[in-house]
Amino acid sequence: MMLSHGSEGGYELAHVLLEGLKFRYQRTIVHRLDPRVKLLLTLTLFVIALMSSNIYDEALTFTAILIPASLAKSIRRLLRLLVYSLAFSAFIFIINYIFTHSLFSSSIVTVRFLGIVASTSMFFMTTSPDEVEYVLRWFRLPRDFVFAFATSIRFVPVLMMDLTQIIDAQKSRGLELDKGGPIKRIRNLVPVLIPLVVNALVRSSELAEAMEARGYGATEKPTSMYSLKMTKVDYLAVAIILTAAALLLSLFLHVV
Amino acid sequence: MSRATVEFRDFSFTYAGMKIPAVRGINFSVEEGSIALLAGASGSGKSTILRSINGLIPHIYPGEYKGDVFVDGQSVIETETFELARKIGFLFQNPENQIFMFTVERDVAFGLENLGYEPKEIKKKVEWALKLLGISDLAKRSPSELSDGQKQRVALAGSLVMDPKIIVLDEPTSLLDPKTAQEVVHLVEDLKRTLGLTVILVEHRLELVSAIADKIIILNKGEVFAEGKPDQILAKDNLHEAGLSIPPIIELQKRLGLVDSDAVAMDVDDFLQRFVQKWQL
Repeated sequence: MMLSHGSEGGYELAHVLLEGLKFRYQRTIVHRLDPRVKLLLTLTLFVIALMSSNIYDEALTFTAILIPASLAKSIRRLLRLLVYSLAFSAFIFIINYIFTHSLFSSSIVTVRFLGIVASTSMFFMTTSPDEVEYVLRWFRLPRDFVFAFATSIRFVPVLMMDLTQIIDAQKSRGLELDKGGPIKRIRNLVPVLIPLVVNALVRSSELAEAMEARGYGATEKPTSMYSLKMTKVDYLAVAIILTAAALLLSLFLHVV
Repeated sequence: MSRATVEFRDFSFTYAGMKIPAVRGINFSVEEGSIALLAGASGSGKSTILRSINGLIPHIYPGEYKGDVFVDGQSVIETETFELARKIGFLFQNPENQIFMFTVERDVAFGLENLGYEPKEIKKKVEWALKLLGISDLAKRSPSELSDGQKQRVALAGSLVMDPKIIVLDEPTSLLDPKTAQEVVHLVEDLKRTLGLTVILVEHRLELVSAIADKIIILNKGEVFAEGKPDQILAKDNLHEAGLSIPPIIELQKRLGLVDSDAVAMDVDDFLQRFVQKWQL
């Protein structure tokens, strides 16, 4: 989906990041795993990335991330996402350097950040929003919360489409989003944001009516067409993830 | 004689905070297994009438409620909205705003899940609804990948899966191209015939749907402006007063002097027959 002809850098970056995190179904062993296993994998990689404190740890962390990414045939997407995260990484590096005056520790923190981005991105790249919703339900989170979360993800492409149309409409009426200094540019967004918010409010009102019309809230315990079921492959994956995590953490902590 | 499935009895409603009633003195009924076309300009009260049928008025939208609305013999004011949801399927103008889930089959299942059906039964009913609407091949697809016409079918499947007696369609063709709009109209007619549904259809474009309607109810400024069989209603000269344009085929008959005894031809074949008879060709 294109934002608009000659979109401004900020919108383009947001668009690329959203596209980068978007779930795309592929017939890989990682995609087919139970979403709870994928969540465990993500959390494990997240902790490993957070615990890495030297160049060897970082190398092991990225190897650990790249193995499932490779199995999920998502290495290229992951690397593209990391490239787009470089600007923010540079910011983290500079801030760290200002406070620590250490090139080494600033570099470690920055690479650690990239490890965290890569590990969490893996989850969203390989887990459909549908599966995310099932996981939230499995955690027995309140139904309203899960539904609000799922709906907000479901409507991201719809709102992006609204945004595109509003930007195009306002541009055709002479609005120049990329003209002027930072303050002027922020003010330029007002004619885009007001119709976007109004549209979203109208949409949410119709959404609420549609929910009522389809019996939302009719019963305390709504059922579900599908439920999560672990297979042998899932159990095996859990065993591999936990063993690998234990091994890596003991290496990081110099236990072995 | 078939019984009334939806009935308005001297119904008036004023939204909370408003001084003027949105609708007043509404009296009409829709017979079981028929198609009723509800038409009127913007602000004529169509949305208020629809909200009164599915119970959003008065259960969600507060205000001054007078008279009664009955759905399948039950007073709407005394019935919870989720109970009405079992009886009434609702298709909104923009299908995008009533598709909640990430796959087509899960969205179709949404209503049944809310009503607490067993998973096995849900799967069976969802398969049936998808097949009925010819979208079984879309079951695993994401709604965001579908065309407007396909989304409309998904939304309709999501309503029909709950096995309603009545289906209410709020301008279902307004966002569709002419060919897809025509397909939706035929689909509605088929569903009415095969499932014995009562259909209430809101539509501006009279030429598109008047041929399949058993009854037309025209609203104007919150009141029933005209009510009757389509050929009788469309033969009237004052439809423009209700902000409606006359379908071209009716306008042509009026100009050719083919309108007699307050009735008009609703389709091309009927029109040609009248034309041949009138001019003895």
